[in-house]
Amino acid sequence: MLRFVVRRLLLLVPILVGLSILVFVWVRALPGSPADSLLGERTTPALVKEYEERFGLDEPVYVQYWKYVQTTAHFDFGVSVASHRPVTTEIKERFPATIELALAAMILAVGLGVPLGFLAAKRHGGIFDHGSLFVSLIGISIPVFFLAILLKYLFAVRLGWLPSVGRIDVTSEVKHPTNLYVLDAILTRDWKTLVDVLKHLILPAVALGSIPLAIVARITRAAVLDVQNEDYVRTARAKGLPPATVDRRHILRNALLPISTIIGLQTGLLLSGAILTETVFAFPGMGQWLREAIFNRDYPVLQGGILFLALVFVFVNLLVDISYAIINPRIRYS
Amino acid sequence: MSVAQAEATEVALEAPSGLWRDAWYRLIRNPGAIVGLLFVLVFVVAAIFAPLLATHDPVEQNLLLIANGCCPGPSAEHYFGVDLLGRDLFTRILYGARYSLLIGIVSVAIGLSIGLVLGAIAGYVGGFVDSAIMRVMDVMLAIPGLLLAIGIVAALGPGLRNVMIAVGLANVPIFARLLRGSVLAQREADFVLAARSVGIKRPQILFSHIIPNSISPVIVQGTLAMATAIIDVAGLGFLGIGLEDPDETPEWGSMLTEVNEYLQVAPFLALIPGTAIVISVLGFNLIGDGLREALDPKLRGR
Repeated sequence: MLRFVVRRLLLLVPILVGLSILVFVWVRALPGSPADSLLGERTTPALVKEYEERFGLDEPVYVQYWKYVQTTAHFDFGVSVASHRPVTTEIKERFPATIELALAAMILAVGLGVPLGFLAAKRHGGIFDHGSLFVSLIGISIPVFFLAILLKYLFAVRLGWLPSVGRIDVTSEVKHPTNLYVLDAILTRDWKTLVDVLKHLILPAVALGSIPLAIVARITRAAVLDVQNEDYVRTARAKGLPPATVDRRHILRNALLPISTIIGLQTGLLLSGAILTETVFAFPGMGQWLREAIFNRDYPVLQGGILFLALVFVFVNLLVDISYAIINPRIRYS
Repeated sequence: MSVAQAEATEVALEAPSGLWRDAWYRLIRNPGAIVGLLFVLVFVVAAIFAPLLATHDPVEQNLLLIANGCCPGPSAEHYFGVDLLGRDLFTRILYGARYSLLIGIVSVAIGLSIGLVLGAIAGYVGGFVDSAIMRVMDVMLAIPGLLLAIGIVAALGPGLRNVMIAVGLANVPIFARLLRGSVLAQREADFVLAARSVGIKRPQILFSHIIPNSISPVIVQGTLAMATAIIDVAGLGFLGIGLEDPDETPEWGSMLTEVNEYLQVAPFLALIPGTAIVISVLGFNLIGDGLREALDPKLRGR
């Protein structure tokens, strides 16, 4: 197991190096000199000079790259052009909102997708099976922002059941030690706020989670159909185990293997989707922040934000791979 | 007529069978795929004949129409109603199909051609070349698709061509991985061994034996990539990045940007462009699924 983890960590090195080169080249491909694009239009010659020295912009490219790697390794992504605050500080404020949203979406996708896929496979060829296939097809064909708009229109504008924008009621004043509002509300035992926060979370999470839900349901269905015909399932049935036990221990447990890989891959989709969902619901997470950065040409924010999200994606996949190896011993020895 | 002759005529009368012909017959017997073909047909017709079908000018504003508040809904004069600036929505939807179709086709072509070449080389040459190419692909895959496209558009600047490049490049690693996998699986196949033993050169084995046998998953993936490309383009448009003049350009995604604020009074302004996106994407997804089954009948019902 340790060997597997070490090997997997080593595989990470070229990806991180490549990622840093990519972002480094990207900043130099932006219109204007790197100092101009990282400082914005309203800057002073003195600031430009300071930046050039700090990043060694007057030195050879490899020195520049090395300095860039050093600052980035310390999570120093520079200062936002728009707010003049360190990008890292803003990430600390924004990222918990996106984590909360993405986690809620993922819980929804897996919590509903697996049972739905399982039932569809059990009733293979029936109305429920066809129905779920059809719904999941619609699910992967609808752009996340359109679904978000539909949900917002129906449940916030039309029915008025749920709030349409934001993460928390604007008048509420609560301390946020972790910035994960759900966790904060539970920690401070503020149940009224918890309800409010959850109400704000439902629509964005459903919008963001429905596409992964469709995919998880499809994969589960296919996996269960595969596993169902395995010899060991027939053996289990033949020796007279109760059907529910066979379903749980022999079919579902093995079918869950491909699903765990899908979860890792879906993280990328969730992060992309979060940008769009947060825009619709004015949800103050990383996505909305990056969108503003695009409009303000706030390149330090874009650089830091894209690199940070890519790192998150890489590490989630690392965790998924490792947990996959824990639940599936066959992988470890391959 | 002898028995042999009769048999010969019978064989000649039967349609010559082949992978593609068989696949086509299976495809057109699949109701899902037929619906998909219909959707895509509507989409393509709207895109090609937009100037003929349109009832108004796509960018001409008519503020008089919205003088009594936003926005008059569907009517005999304006089939889909008018938007926030009094422009005819039906016309803008038709013209919007052109952007989606054009960007979709070109970006998939970019992603597919670069991805195929890289994947084929990686799979067939192997060794260091394989590792180098695939590590670069891993890095590209490490950045979520939409973010990668945003980064590329930020560097190249907005514009139709750059959006195509951005969405296309985001597709490269997907095709590269797909083709590499399939080339690796076939590199040791008997027909490759046979070709090598009669002295056919390596590049020719790759291009005339291995690639043609790897092409069916690529076609399926290409159809599904069309669907994703349309969604990505709309997403960029919705965020207001990509095209030079998002307020003017009749692009489906950007039509949804402002109407977010007008859901109360004019929900159709969001529903109609959104439905247009869903129908075109659904069309390609249905065809993709149909093709997958048609080209590999083992998968039917999966």
